[in-house]
Amino acid sequence: MKRWHWRYWPLKAKLLFLTLFTSTLGIVLVCASLIAVENQNYREQLESELHVIAGILAEQSAAALLFEDHEQLSSILSSLRKIETIKQACVFSASGTLMNSLYSSGDTDCPSLSEQPPVGFVGNYYRLSQPVTLYEDTVGYIYLISHLEVLKAHIQTFIFLAMGIGGLIQLILVFVAFRLQRLVSQPILELSRAAERISLAHDYTIRAPVYGKDELGRLGRTFNDMIGTIEQQNLRILESRDSLERTVEERTSQLSLANKELEAFSYSVSHDLRQPLRAIEGFGRALEEDCEDVLDDTGKDHLRRIRAASVRMAGLIDGLLVLSRVSRQPMESERLNLSEMLEEIAEELSDLSEPLPTELRIQPDIWVAGDGRMLRIAFQNLLENAWKYSAKESSRVIEVSATSDAGYITIAIQDNGVGFDMRYVDKLFVAFNRLHTPSEFGGTGIGLATVNRVILRHHGSISASSEVGKGARFAVCLPVPAADRLHSVESNS
Amino acid sequence: MDDYSILVVDDNPDDQVLTVRALKNASKNSPVIVLEDGQEALDFLFGDEKTASRRNLDTLGVILLDVKLPRVNGLEVLKHIRSSPLTNWMPVIMISSSDEPSELVEAYRLGANSYITKAIDYHEFTEQMTLLARYWLTVNKVPESGSVRKL
Repeated sequence: MKRWHWRYWPLKAKLLFLTLFTSTLGIVLVCASLIAVENQNYREQLESELHVIAGILAEQSAAALLFEDHEQLSSILSSLRKIETIKQACVFSASGTLMNSLYSSGDTDCPSLSEQPPVGFVGNYYRLSQPVTLYEDTVGYIYLISHLEVLKAHIQTFIFLAMGIGGLIQLILVFVAFRLQRLVSQPILELSRAAERISLAHDYTIRAPVYGKDELGRLGRTFNDMIGTIEQQNLRILESRDSLERTVEERTSQLSLANKELEAFSYSVSHDLRQPLRAIEGFGRALEEDCEDVLDDTGKDHLRRIRAASVRMAGLIDGLLVLSRVSRQPMESERLNLSEMLEEIAEELSDLSEPLPTELRIQPDIWVAGDGRMLRIAFQNLLENAWKYSAKESSRVIEVSATSDAGYITIAIQDNGVGFDMRYVDKLFVAFNRLHTPSEFGGTGIGLATVNRVILRHHGSISASSEVGKGARFAVCLPVPAADRLHSVESNS
Repeated sequence: MDDYSILVVDDNPDDQVLTVRALKNASKNSPVIVLEDGQEALDFLFGDEKTASRRNLDTLGVILLDVKLPRVNGLEVLKHIRSSPLTNWMPVIMISSSDEPSELVEAYRLGANSYITKAIDYHEFTEQMTLLARYWLTVNKVPESGSVRKL
């Protein structure tokens, strides 16, 4: 049904409709006024004709009325039969007595003069009363009634004629308007078609045809200019995209080359650098065992230091390998219960370390999405750090809690250990930077760099805050996949 | 069971000495045969091209095979061992300096019985060798090579 609404009409139809509506209105108004004028004129003509007839009749019948000659009157009235508009004619004497009448029968009696019969256009008739005078004496009255059939027939004919001519003119106008609306609609339609083709095919070489120098011509030219600008810009975008793609390809191949080199490097590190260390350590031990009697305490101490250094270096190599592995390993993504993972890590830690009253509070059901192996490495490091740096307190308190906010989950690990000076917080996540001496706390200085790398690869962030002697707090912020956000909302509610 | 011998294939002389020392510590009576590379190991197991003769493998208890070897590497030797009916029953322990996951997976795919990353701490290394010798030479049973052939 809506298709019939004005705004869904095609432009052609609108133009045609407007033209025809205006012309029809004009024709109808002209015809109506012509008919009204004709009607008025004809009435006046009829009226004057009847007055003339009545005048003649009065003159002729004056003598007959005076002598009350009924026969004469009847013959005079009979002459009216030739005039077809006369419906009834009555002749009265001066005293008002009906003397003679034409077309009178029982139901259409002549009215009595004493009752002042109506005159003029009344109902479907025209009535007139004419006094008959002779030498300025009124000797009687003539009352004429004329029906208006002729008038009606005339006006009807006139209306038909006017409508016929109006219709004919309208037909001609339809034809002309149909031809003329093209002048306006054609350029607009072609412009619209061109715009449609451009937007469908994304072909900016298409141009709209331009007609004349009027507003429509200007519109077409402006449209074409605009498409020209878009074409140029599009070309430029395509060119820069191509060059960008080439650059990306180049970089990708460079990167994969660098990655391969890194892989080869770490392979040889893991094989070839460890072997001499093992030799140093092993032969140191052999020396210690075999030459126990020959070596004095200083010599034994030196040997111990050599062996300890090689073990420490092995730890460094291992740390670097883990760091390089978390950087280049392909990522997998799964939903993980971090709380369970932390509980497992904590269990391993409490198996290893010296007995110290430990209070470990891990918020249950912390769910994160990410690579299980990598996140395990990261959180193992964080928990180990918390464990390690709180080893010198009288009791150990570690708390892990999580808060969700706007698509991110923040996991905070708080300990009551020695903490660190916030002045050096920038060095915390850089490899080989340590904030404590090896004699205070052992470590390689690679752990937090590895954690940082893992969290960055998960598109998250990590921050630390502390005060010396009052423990440290590490906050890991990880994005939550959109699908999981719904889940967490459900479980919250 | 002490008379079962142990075959060690390792190219590094330091590691050879340390491994033998650790193994002797664990199982004093077991003879230890040391070979330097993969080709030597293949010759030992499947016969020399010149002599076309093969050692008697019946007394061989376990093979310790380094992954990274010159000429024919450890994984290829393992492949040969597993593809021959003469040797496919033998326990083969891959030993490596690295803990590269891809290498580990490949070793097990080719049928290694075990994979060990050589510990840098000598004490730990000796422990590894002791456990290994105890398990593969005393706890574990291997069929007589003759009976495998009959099957």
